[in-house]
Amino acid sequence: MRIRIPGLYIVLGLVLAGLIHIVAVLTLPSLAPRNAHARLAALGPANTIIVLPAASPGKQVMPMMAPDVRYAFCRFDLTNGPVRLSATIADDLWLFGLYTPEGDNFYAVAGADLKRRDVQFVIVSPDQTVEEAGVDSPETSDEILVVNSPVTEGIAMIRAPLKGPSRAARAEEALKATSCGPYSKSG
Amino acid sequence: MTSVLPDQPFGLAAARAKPWVEEGSHSMRSLAYFIGTFAVALMLGIGSAWYMIEEGSPLTTTKVGPWASWNALANPVEDPYTRAHLARSGRLPLTSTVARYFMAKTDSRGHGLTSACEYLIVGSPINSRWWSIALYDDYGSLIENPSERYSFNSEEMLRHADGTYRVHLARTARPENWLPTGDGTDRNLVLMLRIYSPRETDSLGIGLVPDDRLPKIERLSCE
Repeated sequence: MRIRIPGLYIVLGLVLAGLIHIVAVLTLPSLAPRNAHARLAALGPANTIIVLPAASPGKQVMPMMAPDVRYAFCRFDLTNGPVRLSATIADDLWLFGLYTPEGDNFYAVAGADLKRRDVQFVIVSPDQTVEEAGVDSPETSDEILVVNSPVTEGIAMIRAPLKGPSRAARAEEALKATSCGPYSKSG
Repeated sequence: MTSVLPDQPFGLAAARAKPWVEEGSHSMRSLAYFIGTFAVALMLGIGSAWYMIEEGSPLTTTKVGPWASWNALANPVEDPYTRAHLARSGRLPLTSTVARYFMAKTDSRGHGLTSACEYLIVGSPINSRWWSIALYDDYGSLIENPSERYSFNSEEMLRHADGTYRVHLARTARPENWLPTGDGTDRNLVLMLRIYSPRETDSLGIGLVPDDRLPKIERLSCE
């Protein structure tokens, strides 16, 4: 009897530990209020391009940002319709990424793979069709890329890796020249 | 009879008290066991969750020497551990089909990287569009230095004729590629190797970086 009781408690303890482990893993993401989305959302309004200041000691929007990459982002909000992200790709190394608020990178493409300099991404939510987005026959348009977003709010991030420190200013200028805003047929 | 009667309640009480006391000590012991079990379960459950989220496990990470990489980082199909790790990290990394991230907190022998020591990173070219080695403290912050040098990338790295390169981690200037580890008190160091658009991929499209392409981190001397 005396030997059995601790044995039972060991089993109980392991089952409990397993349950606590699962609950901890599933709740931890929501207990991390300083995730990337929260950090970026604090910097400005939605549907606008914001160029991040170059990472420097003690001055980083997110931890472990690359010191030799320049970043610009647009927090897109599709509640009032699709959002257009336009860019003139200044360098083949540029990377475009679309993210959910949880940080899932559901779309990513390298500038070099787009094989064009001027590009427009039209971000469309699941309940919006391409016709509603006002993009007529997107396959005939070289410039327009329609991207279906699983979320109505998220982040579009443009990365401009630098070939050297001397390229920083030019990369920042090129990122400032990108734009993000509600999509309209005429615009 | 009269002399027995007053005894009886006591006798009864004593007779009853004994099992009650035993039951009591038994339930007290059960309670102690239960509290103990719960405390141990809490520590085990949260401890293991914390470790698997912070440091990763063979389920979620690939370890090559000192380098660790989360396999499904930022993938829309990522598992709960990777998701929790990402949320806690505060980072917004690219998915593993367009970029791979490798982090090192130790040298190749497993000793923690610290600014009290000097290191030599020796590596070979990596087959990708662009890659970069950057140095941080263990809060993920860049380290202040007068030459404002925080990283070396594939374009600016000084290399030997065969494409290999050497990076020194030291407080004071070194030849070839020098990443300053900063003045002042000793700090723990973290290296991040980011590889954008790796040219080799596996069947899932995840960027492949052969193990021998990841640089060795050799400790030279300590203060």
